[in-house]
Amino acid sequence: MKENYVIEMLDITKRFGNILANDHINIRLQKGHILALCGENGAGKSTIMSILFGLYEPDEGVIKKDGEIVKISNPNDATRLNIGMVHQHFKLVDTFTVLQNIILGEETLKEYKGNLNIFKKAFNFLNKRIFKLIDYKTAREEVEKIINQYDLNVDLDKKIKDISVEMQQKVEIIKMLYRHNDILIFDEPTAVLTEQEIHDFLNILRNLKKEGKSIIFISHKLNEVFEVSDEITVIRKGKYIDTLSAKDTSKEEISALMVGREVDVFKKKTKKVPLGEVLRVEHLIVVDPNSKKKIVNDVSFNVRKGEIVTLAGIDGNGQQEVVYGITGMKKVHNGAITLNNKDISNFSIRERIKAGISHIPEDRHKHGLVLDYSIYENSVLDRYYERQFSKHLFLKDKAIKEYGDNLINKYDIRSSGDGNTIVRSMSGGNQQKIIVGREIERNQDLLIAVQPTRGLDIGAIEVIHELLLKQREENKAILLVSLELDQVLSLSDRILVMYEGEIVGEFDPNKVNKETLGLYMSGAKKDQVNAIKENEHE
Amino acid sequence: MNKVKTFLSNLLKKDATKTIVTSLWCALLGLVLGFLILLLINAKDAAYGMTSVLGNYLIFSNPSDRLNYFGQTLAKTAPLLAMSLSILFSYKVGLFNLGGSGQYSIAVIIITLLGVGLNLPWWLVMIIAIIAASIWSMISGALKAFFNVNEVISGIMLNWIALYLTNGILTSTPSVWDSSHSEAFFIDSSSKSFIPSIGLDKLFAGNQIVGLGMILILVIVAVIFVLFKKTTIGYELKATGFNVEAANYAGINKVKNILIATAVSGALAGLAAVLNLQNGFTSWRLSSVTPEIGFQGISAAFLGGLHPIGVIFSSYFIVHITEGGSMITDLGFAPEVASIITSVIIYLSGFVAFFKEVMRKNEIKEEFNKMSRRKESQS
Repeated sequence: MKENYVIEMLDITKRFGNILANDHINIRLQKGHILALCGENGAGKSTIMSILFGLYEPDEGVIKKDGEIVKISNPNDATRLNIGMVHQHFKLVDTFTVLQNIILGEETLKEYKGNLNIFKKAFNFLNKRIFKLIDYKTAREEVEKIINQYDLNVDLDKKIKDISVEMQQKVEIIKMLYRHNDILIFDEPTAVLTEQEIHDFLNILRNLKKEGKSIIFISHKLNEVFEVSDEITVIRKGKYIDTLSAKDTSKEEISALMVGREVDVFKKKTKKVPLGEVLRVEHLIVVDPNSKKKIVNDVSFNVRKGEIVTLAGIDGNGQQEVVYGITGMKKVHNGAITLNNKDISNFSIRERIKAGISHIPEDRHKHGLVLDYSIYENSVLDRYYERQFSKHLFLKDKAIKEYGDNLINKYDIRSSGDGNTIVRSMSGGNQQKIIVGREIERNQDLLIAVQPTRGLDIGAIEVIHELLLKQREENKAILLVSLELDQVLSLSDRILVMYEGEIVGEFDPNKVNKETLGLYMSGAKKDQVNAIKENEHE
Repeated sequence: MNKVKTFLSNLLKKDATKTIVTSLWCALLGLVLGFLILLLINAKDAAYGMTSVLGNYLIFSNPSDRLNYFGQTLAKTAPLLAMSLSILFSYKVGLFNLGGSGQYSIAVIIITLLGVGLNLPWWLVMIIAIIAASIWSMISGALKAFFNVNEVISGIMLNWIALYLTNGILTSTPSVWDSSHSEAFFIDSSSKSFIPSIGLDKLFAGNQIVGLGMILILVIVAVIFVLFKKTTIGYELKATGFNVEAANYAGINKVKNILIATAVSGALAGLAAVLNLQNGFTSWRLSSVTPEIGFQGISAAFLGGLHPIGVIFSSYFIVHITEGGSMITDLGFAPEVASIITSVIIYLSGFVAFFKEVMRKNEIKEEFNKMSRRKESQS
C-alpha cells in the first residue's frame, strides 16, 4: 500500500552564517499519524520545525503538502496550509482572556447595529474591518464545540496570567483547532509539565489523532515518545539519521542513534586519586515559587579535591538550580551546603565567594559579565574589593589594568582594541574567555562550571577543556554541569545524572556508555531505578 | 592633513564627543524653534527678543550691571545643578528619580521652619534639610529594594504628598507665613541662615548671592565624578545599574546600593532647595503643582549627557536662557512666551538619546556600505 503523506520535507538544508543547522533532513508525516522528532540539544529539531511553520526559509530542499510542492515563507502561509505550531514558549497575551487569545487574529466579526453611514463614507479609504465588532457569541459557541469534541476543559473567561502552564498549553491547542489546522507541531510540549500533566497531555494527543489530525512532536523523553508515536525520526548534529516505526524499535536503539556511536578525541586525563572532600550538598530542595513544583528534589552529593564531578542531564532537569543553591543565587527550600567543613548554607553570595567558590555561570550575558563594562572592569567583577585591587575604597587602576592585561595574554582574549574595550562589542567566545580566565585565576578550592563551552568553536572548547583538566591536576574540586555527553564522558571522574530534579544514577565514566547515560537522562530508566530503591528499602 | 582628519574622525567616534555634539544640536534646534515662535507672535521685535534670550546679562551696557547679573545667573545655576546631579546619580544605578520635586519640598519645610522661623545658623539648617530630603527619598528606595515597587510611581505619589504637607505645615505656621502674599518669608542676606558670600560678592560687583553655595556644589560635582570613576562604591553602583543580575552574581548587595542611590539623590534634591532658599532667590509659594525644578533637573541631566561635568554646562545653559527669557516681557511679549521658548528648548534636550541613536544607525549604515563595497571590489 502506498503511504499517504500529508507533509514531506525533503533534503532540507539551513545555514546560519557558518553554522549548518540542518543538513539534508527528511521528514515524512503520514495522515493521522504521530511522528516523534528526537535528538539531543542543538541537533536542529526546532530549526526544522520552524522551517515547516514558515519562521525560516530553507536554503535547499522542498516541502510537499499532500504530494504537491508548496512554498512557506511566513507563518501566514503555514496557517493557510492548515499547519499549526505550539512553541516551547507559549505565544499568548497574558492580560487577555482565554477566549480572546484563541480568536486573536481570526476574529469573527459582526456589523454594528447603529447608523454609521456618515462615518463609513468619510472614512471609506480605511480598512472596512474597523467598522465591525467582534462577535464573541458566535466565537464562543465555536470554541465550546471544539472543547467538547476534544475534551479540552478550560475556563474561557479567565485571563492567561491566572491559569496554569498546563491550561495555557490547552489554550494553544484550541487555538490551532480553531484555525482548522490539520497538521499540528509541538516543540518540546512536555518540558514544562509535571508527570501527571504529561499523562493528560498524551491522552489529548491520542484524541487528536483519533479525530484524524496529523502530529509532529519534538521530545527527547523516550518514555512518552514510545507511548504515543507511530514513527520516530532521529536527527543528530543537524544531520538526518533515520526514521523508524515505533513498533519495530526500542528505546535503547533510539537513544543510541540520538547520541551517536562515533568517539570524539579528547585530551587524555591522568589517573588520580581524589583527596579530601571540598563540597558536600545534603538533601537540597529547591521549589519553584510559581508552580510549587520541586525543581530540585532531595539532592545529595559531594566533590573532592582533584576530581571533576559532572551533573549530566537534559536541560531544565534541575542542574541549574542546584548550582544556584550552592552559590546562593537562589533561595533553597531545604538542605545543607558544606564547603571545607564549614556550613555555608546561610552565607550571602559574597561570603560564599570569599569562602572559596568560583563560578562560571551558564548565561554569560545575564550573570557572567556587565556588558557595558570594559575587559579590565569585568576582569575583577567579583574581586574588585580585594586588597590587591583597592585601597580605602579607591580602585587601584594600575593594578586592575596589569591584572586585566595578564588575563588577556594568558587566555588569548581578543577584541578590537585594548583592555578598555567594552565587552558588549566582543564575540561570544572571547566574552566567555574573560569569565573562564577570571574564575580560574581566582584560584579557589571549588570551581563550578556550568556549560562552559556552550556556543564556542572547537578551538575555544579545546582550550577550556585543557584548563579544566589543569585545575584538576592542581587538586581543585570541580563541579561541571554539561549537556554534552562527549564532554561529560571525557572530562568527569564521576557522573551524576539528573532527571526531573533528582539524581537518578551515579556512574564511573570508564564503565558506562552514552547509550546508558542517554536512557537515564531521558527518564527511561527511572522506573527501574525506583524499583531497585524500593527493593533496597525492603 | 590626513592626520588631523583621522584624529577628528576618531574623536567623533568617541561616545563623549557624540553626547556633546548631540546636546549642542538639541540646544540649537530648540533655539531655532523658539525663534520661529517669536517670529509668529511679533515679527518686528523677534530678532531683538532672541538676542536678549541668548544674551541675558550681556545686553546690559554697564559693565558692573553685566557682572552683577552674570553672578546672579551663576548662583541660580547651583540649585538646578544640584537637582540634575540628583537625577544623574540615581540614573547611574538604574533608577529614575522622578521624586525630586517631593524631596525638594520636604527640604523647603525644614529650611523655612528652621531658617525663617528660628533663624538657626545656615550650616545647621542645611544639614538637617538635606537629611530630611534624603530620608524622604529613601521611602521610595526601600519600597523598590524590598518590595520591587517601581520608583517612578512611588516617587510621583510622594511628590504630591510632599506638596500638600508643605502647603499645610507652612500656611499654619504664622511666624514663617506671609499671608498677604500667600508665600513664606524670604531668607535675606542679613539672616544667619543665609549662605555666606565669603568675599566672592566683590568679584561680581557686590552681588551678595554669589557665595559659598556655588563652591560647595562644584566640590560635590568633583566628588561624584571621582566616586563613579575611581572608587569601589562607584564600581558597585554602576554595575548594579548596568546589570543587576551580574552584580548579584558577583556578590554585590543590590538592596544596599538601591538605598545608597536613593539616599544620595534625595540629599542632592534637598541641597537644591538649600541653594535656592538659603540664597534668598525664592520662598515657598502656596501652590497646587509640584515644584518644576524636579523636572527641569531631568532635562538638565539628559542635556548634559548624564555626565557630572556635562551637567554643569547644561544647567548653566538652561538657567541662562530662562533668565534671558524673563527679560523679553519688556518688548511686549507676554511672560508666557519666554516660558514657551525655554520649554521648547528644554523639551528638545530630551531628544539627546534619540539623536545619538540616529547617529549610531548612520554609522552602522556607513560601515555596512564600506563592507559591501570592499566585497564588490574583491569579487
